[in-house]
Amino acid sequence: MIRTVAPRADVIGKASRVTAVLQIFAIILLCGLIYILADISARYSTLQDGIRENALWSVYQLDRETRKLHETLHVMLAVGDTSAESIKQLSTRYDILYSRMTILEEASFGGRFHIDATVSRHIAAIRDGVFGSQHDFDRLAAGGSLSAKRLGEVDMGLEAIGRSTEELLTYTNNMVSSDRADGRDAIMRLQVKSAILVGLLAVCAVFLVASLRRQLKSVRLAGLALEEVSNGFNEAFLAADAGNRAKSQFMATIGHEIRTPLNAILGTAELLELSPLPTAAASGVQTIRRSGEALLEIINEILDYAKLEHGRLEVDARPVDVEKLLRCTVDMMRDRARERGNRIHLVMPTEFSAPVIVTDPTRMRQVLLNLLSNAVKFTSGGSVTLKVSETDAAGEERLRVDVVDTGIGIDEEGLQKLFRPFSQVDLSISREYGGTGLGLTICKQIVEALGGSVGVESRPGVGSVFWFEIPRVPGAITSTTDVSASQLEDTLPALDILLVEDNLVNQQVAAGLLAHLGQKVTLAANGREGVEAVRNGRFDLVLMDMQMPVMDGIEATLMIRALGSAFAKLPIIAMTANASADDERLCHEAGMSGFEAKPMSSAQLRRIVAGAGKRLPVQLSQSPANGTDASFEVRKAEIVDAIGAEGFEEIVALFFQDATALLDQLAKARLDRDMQTADRSLHTLKGAASSIGLQDVADLSQKLRHGDISSDMFGELENTISNHRHRLAA
Amino acid sequence: MRLASALQLFIASFLSAVALPVCALALDLPTGPVVLTVRGDNVAYPNVGDEAQFDIPMLEALRGREGSMETPWTKGRIRFSGPLLRSVLGAAGATGGMLKIVALNDYSAELPVEDATKLDTMLATRMDGQLMSVREKGPLFLVYPFDLDSDLFNEKYFSRSVWQITTIEVSR
Repeated sequence: MIRTVAPRADVIGKASRVTAVLQIFAIILLCGLIYILADISARYSTLQDGIRENALWSVYQLDRETRKLHETLHVMLAVGDTSAESIKQLSTRYDILYSRMTILEEASFGGRFHIDATVSRHIAAIRDGVFGSQHDFDRLAAGGSLSAKRLGEVDMGLEAIGRSTEELLTYTNNMVSSDRADGRDAIMRLQVKSAILVGLLAVCAVFLVASLRRQLKSVRLAGLALEEVSNGFNEAFLAADAGNRAKSQFMATIGHEIRTPLNAILGTAELLELSPLPTAAASGVQTIRRSGEALLEIINEILDYAKLEHGRLEVDARPVDVEKLLRCTVDMMRDRARERGNRIHLVMPTEFSAPVIVTDPTRMRQVLLNLLSNAVKFTSGGSVTLKVSETDAAGEERLRVDVVDTGIGIDEEGLQKLFRPFSQVDLSISREYGGTGLGLTICKQIVEALGGSVGVESRPGVGSVFWFEIPRVPGAITSTTDVSASQLEDTLPALDILLVEDNLVNQQVAAGLLAHLGQKVTLAANGREGVEAVRNGRFDLVLMDMQMPVMDGIEATLMIRALGSAFAKLPIIAMTANASADDERLCHEAGMSGFEAKPMSSAQLRRIVAGAGKRLPVQLSQSPANGTDASFEVRKAEIVDAIGAEGFEEIVALFFQDATALLDQLAKARLDRDMQTADRSLHTLKGAASSIGLQDVADLSQKLRHGDISSDMFGELENTISNHRHRLAA
Repeated sequence: MRLASALQLFIASFLSAVALPVCALALDLPTGPVVLTVRGDNVAYPNVGDEAQFDIPMLEALRGREGSMETPWTKGRIRFSGPLLRSVLGAAGATGGMLKIVALNDYSAELPVEDATKLDTMLATRMDGQLMSVREKGPLFLVYPFDLDSDLFNEKYFSRSVWQITTIEVSR
């Protein structure tokens, strides 16, 4: 396509050169034409000046009058008539001839009449003849008479004059004729010249039109070719973009796929660490866990980046308690800092002018964690300080956060590469410290999405200061639950909590909510794993699902209580979606400390944690089955608040994946009339659905459990789930 | 028809009334040598037969003009004077469309009457104040107002510039 454009441009250039030449040529021709017109005009004006008496006519008149006078005299002489009447007539004729002679002498004639020697000679001769007989005619006119001899002489003289006038007439005629022919020739030449010029001009105009047409055509074709090229580029861009999207999609899918087994590995490793192992094995397990965590971090970053690349960064702004957020974040980093021998400080004003600002807390925490973990990573045996201040630079109220470390620092060259995707200061860094090099890119995009800016100052060997500023828009936490929650949270202890739950959806939701409350959560997938974890670890609280494969909650509780006196006081809270009086009794008999309805709300968990922290006897919630009617939106808001919108989406996706499998299982069980499996599937489905707030699905599942598994109701359940899937996908 | 002739009569009497102040109604008989004869189908005020004849004083008594100009037939600038052609025609009561100007040597030129009515064409009697003899293209010379309108200076009007005039024939 590009190849077709270049010659086209060449053609255009050539055509415009031709046009220019033709234009110059046309101008020259025009000048020539103007010159000829000027010439014609000049000739015409000389012609105008030359408007004179007709020489030939005057000579003819002279000749004629001479002959008339001669004839009159001749007749008089022949007849011998000398009457007064005849004399008078003769005299008049002479007078006329005389006047004609004067005219010939005095009148101005065109051409070369007066300057021609022959003409002058003839005129002189004629004049001599005419004026020579003036006295004779004067005498006759005065009434005198002339002798016959004299009259005869006059007669002879007139005959001579007649010959002269005749000669003059012939000569003048020839002269006038040749003059006329010359003039005609000159005009002819001029006409031919101007005709040629006009012809050339016409040809020039034709060429010009042709050239312009060609030029226009080329320009049009070039335009079309360019359009084609541009379309090609467009298509290529779309294709590239589509490819990129597909790649990101792939990355996201693979990320999820990796994350699930990785979580299992991490959980198992954590459990292993808790069990008494030989030192070598213990250190091996620790390595597995650390590597796994590092891997998880990397995968999370890649997933984040994949999302950012598509501009899918959604900012969910809401009032945020700044101090709480900062403390919580620093607390999360404390362990990691300690591991590398770093001290971590939080420096902030004693009082914020805006203690609550409107921003996206999840995103802000993500940035803080990233900067802090970088600082911790590149510093050992030093200090990391999170310095927070309120600035009002350029009339804009901003919250400034500086992450100051005393680490290895970055040189000038390295600073240039920061904040760019996939770039680390140098390759040795990536070898030594690992990481994707995406963290800062993600930070930059997030901060910019929050309307702020990010930057770095650093000196090699001294340390680095990574900072960001975001707008400080004062907000107020209006919701009463949030106020009381924050009050509660102030006193909320950080506990080690074991969550025993088989369903992935429930697991993720509960773990997310707990993590949001600043709790450390360990997962166990069933009762047996739960018992193992309790045996090897030290937990402040166990949250126990009731129905689980391998070993249910009741049995697990019995086994934990049987482990020994050290575990007698461990708070074990039962979580159940179907709380009947029987169940409650069973729980108590098994030695459970409490009994909570699923799904657990954030407030419920907070109350449980607070109670467990104070070693208070855990209060049982009343009529737990009624605590589950929170609408989808409320539940969603709660989970999103804890783990972010993306986390929620992941859980929803997980739910539908789960639901599909469960529905399959259910369909199979119906065919096999395996009521037990069907009931278990429905139970799991109910729990998972209520966990994410799909209350109608949970209710339907419950109905199916108790009633007949008629195809109508099963179909309805399938439809409801599929409707939700479409709604949430959109 | 009766009405038409009545109208004609009325117009004729009206025209006569208009012509009255311009010249004497009845043309006097020439006392000197006759220099000009106006004849034609429609000469309203004839003095000799059905022709109007003029001597120099009669002509010079008519309204005329004087103009200095160059002509192709004279040397240098000449002052011509004489009655306007239309005054002469008016004095003769001659009406028509075409004028035929006849010279002594039988040369003649035809010209439309507009040359008399629209142009200040004169029948020059004098050159530089002198009466003109036949030898000096006299006694009458039809002179177009070349001094007033240079567009007239061409062959068309040269050929109409008749000298040694004797007769003007008026036709429809």
